Amino acid sequence: MDSEDDMHDANDAESVDDDFYSGETAMDSDDGDAADYEFIDNDSDDSNDLVSHRSQQNYTILNETDIQLRQEDDIMKIASILSISDVAAAILLRHYNWSVSKVNDEWFADEEKVRRVVGLLEEPRPLPNAKELTCGICFEVYPCDSMSSAACGHPFCVTCWQGYISTAINDGPGCLTLRCPDPSCGAAVGKDMIVSLASHDDREKYRRYFLRSFVEDNRKTKWCPAPGCDYAVDFIVGGGTFDVTCRCSYSFCWNCTEEAHRPVDCDTVSKWIMKNSAESENMNWILANSKPCPKCKRPIEKNQGCMHITCTPPCKFEFCWLCLGAWADHGERTGGFYACNRYEAAKQEGVYDDTEKRREMAKNSLERYTHYYERWATNQSSRQKALADLQQMQSIHLEKLSDKQCQPESQLKFITEAWLQIVECRRVLKWTYAYGYYLPEHEHAKRQFFEYLQGEAESGLERLHQCAEKELQGYLNVEGPSKDFNEFRMKLAGLTSVTRNYFENLVRALENGLSDVDAHGGTSRIGGSRSLGAGSSKGRTSRSKGTSARSSGSRNIDDSVHWSCEYCTFANAKSATICQMCQQRR
Amino acid sequence: MTDSSVSSRKVLSKIATNRLQKELTEWQINPPSGFTHKVTDNLQRWVIEVNGAQGTIYDNEKYQLQVDFPENYPMEAPQVIFLHPAPLHPHIYSNGHICLDILYDSWSPAMTVGSICISILSMLSSSTAKERPEDNDRYVKNCRNGRSPKETRWWFHDDKV
Repeated sequence: MDSEDDMHDANDAESVDDDFYSGETAMDSDDGDAADYEFIDNDSDDSNDLVSHRSQQNYTILNETDIQLRQEDDIMKIASILSISDVAAAILLRHYNWSVSKVNDEWFADEEKVRRVVGLLEEPRPLPNAKELTCGICFEVYPCDSMSSAACGHPFCVTCWQGYISTAINDGPGCLTLRCPDPSCGAAVGKDMIVSLASHDDREKYRRYFLRSFVEDNRKTKWCPAPGCDYAVDFIVGGGTFDVTCRCSYSFCWNCTEEAHRPVDCDTVSKWIMKNSAESENMNWILANSKPCPKCKRPIEKNQGCMHITCTPPCKFEFCWLCLGAWADHGERTGGFYACNRYEAAKQEGVYDDTEKRREMAKNSLERYTHYYERWATNQSSRQKALADLQQMQSIHLEKLSDKQCQPESQLKFITEAWLQIVECRRVLKWTYAYGYYLPEHEHAKRQFFEYLQGEAESGLERLHQCAEKELQGYLNVEGPSKDFNEFRMKLAGLTSVTRNYFENLVRALENGLSDVDAHGGTSRIGGSRSLGAGSSKGRTSRSKGTSARSSGSRNIDDSVHWSCEYCTFANAKSATICQMCQQRR
Repeated sequence: MTDSSVSSRKVLSKIATNRLQKELTEWQINPPSGFTHKVTDNLQRWVIEVNGAQGTIYDNEKYQLQVDFPENYPMEAPQVIFLHPAPLHPHIYSNGHICLDILYDSWSPAMTVGSICISILSMLSSSTAKERPEDNDRYVKNCRNGRSPKETRWWFHDDKV
């Protein structure tokens, strides 16, 4: 059973090479636990209908009914294997943290010892044989038939039992391990006795503790940490990643229960969160939320998701929210039309006016931190904004769009998908800034490669965001159906899929610690892909894919037989002159 | 110091009163040896004299225990402290607080004042050194505002003394 911990640790870089989204449930990985899970899987057919069990996931989301069914199922299993009552089985399971296999092992190794430890008597003893008995708590004398006892036969009157049980329940979950009040006796007080003697409210409290114990004391399950969410997650350790998306739509890491943070590992996340809380007093929080327009100096609060800001008239200056440079400059010089992660480059080259400022800023570590923090926080708020936009899209705009463009709403799923992808990308991008902050300064090749990949990711996402947000407006605010709506559909769907691929590969590459840089003598190769990326937008996506997708050769796109669309980056066959995805000319 | 916290305490429930009267009657017939109950008309606070057992390091010494009963005694444990001066013992703090599990987590309503007294006497008798707990000063300082020992989170790590 100690192996459970090992299995946590075993989830290292090697296992994440497998495609996360199609990762299979790992059942064959270990001894004791494998047996434990088999128990569930063999017998849970009747509960499977109620449980949303998606085969490609290594976790299951459970609602209260599911939890209860599983709990009852395990109790019945133990009761029938050990030929004991349900009540006794529940006591045993709770003691061994609801592990069916552990109860089995311990019981068959030394039943007598197990019975002693949990307070289960082999032969129940009756009440003392007398007409009248003295209650061991109030010391009053009662007729025998108004007394009760646990299996040990120590008599207490009903009133005292009720007081004893009520006090225990109101003291907390310790009531689940209640013993006979006699100090010299360790006999367990079972669920049946508690339920029959407790008041209605206490019974309900006890029921909650009993249910919660099944989730909280069980090493395989946890509650979803989202506020107000009542779902629990049953997780099978050993296959794939720790990322879990609850039915409430909150994504979190099963291991550390922070929000989902791929590609960054749990230790980095906790370091980063500590750092943030320590630095928050020094941080100029406004930095992340409002900036002066670089031209007219009026303060601007960012209220749309993407980084392309247009100041209000009469100024109308278009600039990049991140570097405050003119938007017009955002092209090849920043590593792609929408890219702006040029912190390192700016530090080294000192090309722009802004860069001079940044170079000074980078002089001390606080400013270095500020750089990463600001971008981390900006992506965080962009993500929140995108989530809100997504909701508004689903509740209002889709209907309107369906009406305006004469399209059934079922044909507009591509818009929801695009927004879901934006939300996910913002999450990944956010964590790449924590990743970048902890990437050692001296690993120049890795840093360069990282900045390059991140820049590509940003520009890809900006492109998608722009299309899903601003271009969509054009189709919302029209009188009749737009002729080119199908083209818009193709473009947005194409961008969504390309961006999804890129980000999945990015996550994998970062989780591998950018190991390709080491493996291939780094600099020259990176230099190669960098110059390709910076020199032309063609082939960028396929190139960065190639570097991270070494485990699946089919993903390598050979530039000699493909060309990448400048607009949506779709990799087209060499023979095609029009992009298959967005219909733009080569 | 504890006077204020006791005076604000709710009066004993009927169950508690009945039970305490029975305990008192039993005590008068059959008191635990080495203990004397100081007679008052206050059923909610007992003051008990403890005589150090013969042949122990507390032989011939007398101490006073103060036992305060909560409203829903015996479901809830009484508060038991030594009045000043508290015996020098590795589990007894200079403010009279006693580190003994049955007074806190391991309390059971089937225990009585008599059984508490016997436990305390046995705790005293098994001590071989007259010394305060290691953390005495820090603990007593933390209890300055008349905090009850029942509010302390005790660690019961030593079952020898």
